[in-house]
Amino acid sequence: MKHVLIIGSGISGMACAVRCAEQGIHVTLASPFPSERSQSVMAAGGINAVLSGDSQGDSVDSHIQDTLRGGCRLGGVRAVTGLCENGERILRQLEGIGTVFSVDPQGRLLRRAFGGQSYKRTCYCGASTGKQIVSALVMEVRRYEAQGLIRRRLWCCFHSALIREGVCYGALLFDEAFGGLDAVCADAVVIATGGQNALFGKTTGSTQCDGYAAGKLFMQGAELKNLEFIQYHPTTLETAQKRMLITEAARGEGGRLFCRKNGRTVYFMEEKYGPGGNLQTRDVISREIDALGDSVFLDVSFLGKSVIDNRLSELRDLCAKYGGIDVYREPIPVRPSVHFFMGGLAVHLNHETNIRNLFAVGECASMYHGANRLGGNSLLAALYSGNVAADAIAGREGRQTAPPDFSAETEREKQLLGQDRDTQSRFPVMYIRDLLAETMQKNLGIVRNEAHLTQGLKDIDYYLSIAGRIHYDSSVMPYFNYSLTAILTLARATMACALSRRESRGAHWRSDYPETEEAYQSATVMAYDGGKYSVRLDKERAYES
Amino acid sequence: MRVSVLRQQHPGSDPYWETFEYDGPDHNSVAGVLDYLNYHDDIVDTEGRRTTRIGWECSCLQGICGACAMVINGRPALACETFIRDLKGPEIRIQPLRKFPVIHDLVTDRSSIHENLKQANVSIGEYRPSAKTDHAHHYAVAKCLKCGLCLEVCPNYVNGRTFFGAAFANDCYLVASRNRSKTAEIRTLYAEHFGKDCSKSLSCMEICPMKIQTLASIARLNRGKL
Repeated sequence: MKHVLIIGSGISGMACAVRCAEQGIHVTLASPFPSERSQSVMAAGGINAVLSGDSQGDSVDSHIQDTLRGGCRLGGVRAVTGLCENGERILRQLEGIGTVFSVDPQGRLLRRAFGGQSYKRTCYCGASTGKQIVSALVMEVRRYEAQGLIRRRLWCCFHSALIREGVCYGALLFDEAFGGLDAVCADAVVIATGGQNALFGKTTGSTQCDGYAAGKLFMQGAELKNLEFIQYHPTTLETAQKRMLITEAARGEGGRLFCRKNGRTVYFMEEKYGPGGNLQTRDVISREIDALGDSVFLDVSFLGKSVIDNRLSELRDLCAKYGGIDVYREPIPVRPSVHFFMGGLAVHLNHETNIRNLFAVGECASMYHGANRLGGNSLLAALYSGNVAADAIAGREGRQTAPPDFSAETEREKQLLGQDRDTQSRFPVMYIRDLLAETMQKNLGIVRNEAHLTQGLKDIDYYLSIAGRIHYDSSVMPYFNYSLTAILTLARATMACALSRRESRGAHWRSDYPETEEAYQSATVMAYDGGKYSVRLDKERAYES
Repeated sequence: MRVSVLRQQHPGSDPYWETFEYDGPDHNSVAGVLDYLNYHDDIVDTEGRRTTRIGWECSCLQGICGACAMVINGRPALACETFIRDLKGPEIRIQPLRKFPVIHDLVTDRSSIHENLKQANVSIGEYRPSAKTDHAHHYAVAKCLKCGLCLEVCPNYVNGRTFFGAAFANDCYLVASRNRSKTAEIRTLYAEHFGKDCSKSLSCMEICPMKIQTLASIARLNRGKL
């Protein structure tokens, strides 16, 4: 019986698990928390799909072209075509399992406008689309749990993959329930661990998404791609502990960005880009706000109580609770913040990495979004990538022979973990994580240059040089301690990718190389071998076509 | 400001109170207070004794994931949306949820919520809604965080072995109303694990961070009008 280990139980992990189970594959779905705690629940605005019988004149081809254009021609045509062609199927599937979409009185899916798109094609569930999809998928996973096809393992964190000669045979999991490492063998391993928010400290995302799995797998031989493309969402609200996402749906419903100059209200996006100014792509708006240097506000008050209450109630409540802002009357002060990572583990069209039987799906994989992601495409990509990986695994013969013996490696890792646990040090790993966040925010902002990126590399090299020599507070969860080096390594790879791309494109903007260059119209691929980082442009499009 | 935390090193070890002095920003939430105590400096109690860092769970920090459910000044709440400015008295007292086994400090094992739903196989399977659906209530119910606050305050919920509580009832409602072929089966499960033992204190509705009107789910399941 084929067995797949999926690490991460957000939308992409659950989508993969369900699709595997539908084809009779046994799944272990491992995560430290239940799916309700995943970052997926924070996706607000919607999911893109062109529905048949569309009366606006929209087409799948238009969705493909918008996605490729939004991604500044770095997204692969075949990958994006597959994504967009499957939009309606995925939407109907979500409807079919009972997702509570926003619908008209006839029960037809409502759609709203999102940035960078030629038509209104973003289907939604109020302003909690991710949460509603998670709730429906949790029930669907539960149905297969009852049939014995999916087994959830909670309290489990990824430690490392079991790899021999370029083939993955399973993974070591740190199981908090008994406080030790457990080797889990599988015919395939699927990584679904989300983006690398923790590299930047305060972002719009979950504190749980730290990029460790991508960093560790990179150190184990998996290649990374397009790490320099980091999406700054233009509208977030500053609070004490994080940056709250002010959903793009606010602008999709008509919300307007403005600043104040000499006592005058200036709708700067509309002045520069015309009536569609507030729905330019996220990279463009973030850059405009950054260049303004002034306080910027988002006004939804004029939309009226009915639109706000019916379509933006979550935004209304969030602003009141965390900002003391009454959106019926007041504008929302907004600023760009790190929101999404277009880069991640490099995967082929079937979502397999360069290590056989090791797959990556959702935000931790780099595939569809090129240099900039369109709003509403991340939920679609999370679901679609989970399906693609499951189909690839289903179409492959299960392993006929016993896996190699990994007991020596497992024992060594257990000993290392034990040494960390025996320390009496009180020094928290979080202090180094905070320093890293400061370095990343300062040197890998919306606009970059060689001096900052070089300084960033220097800083991270220093953190890496001391990380292994310090003993950390053993009273915190061991995961925080053993994850540090891989997180720093991923950060270093990210900085090096940004330094190597000497042009400006999408979310990667260099003040010292402000033009988009034909020579760079390829993905950046980063490899690691025994401490040596090597970067190249994927001119043959080995990973995305 | 004094912050007392009921601590417990391991499952099964004895709990004990430890008191800290909080001198951080007064606009913080309780989640912010815990973060500040843990990582602003070395962690010491009010007597200056060094101690271990406080264990607690968080993910979204904006009230939509349910990870940071705990008992704050006697009231179950999410730490990330409970602000110091709204708390009365000179001290903040923080305890783990009391209806769930403690793993470490404020971290509890709430897997019984999921286990009960799994055991009863509460799943929609196929969307076949009843003729008159209440879309707004479906939308609200599907936002349940499975945080456990409703079970913590419920006078009927003990340990989840027979009475499964409001989180279960609301998921039952969602299934029964979104797949009419399951209505009869789900109503039986609902009666067994909720209907027959609920004393309708409705404390679950008052405490719910998502403001789910559980009474509406109960009324419709009881009457079979879905």
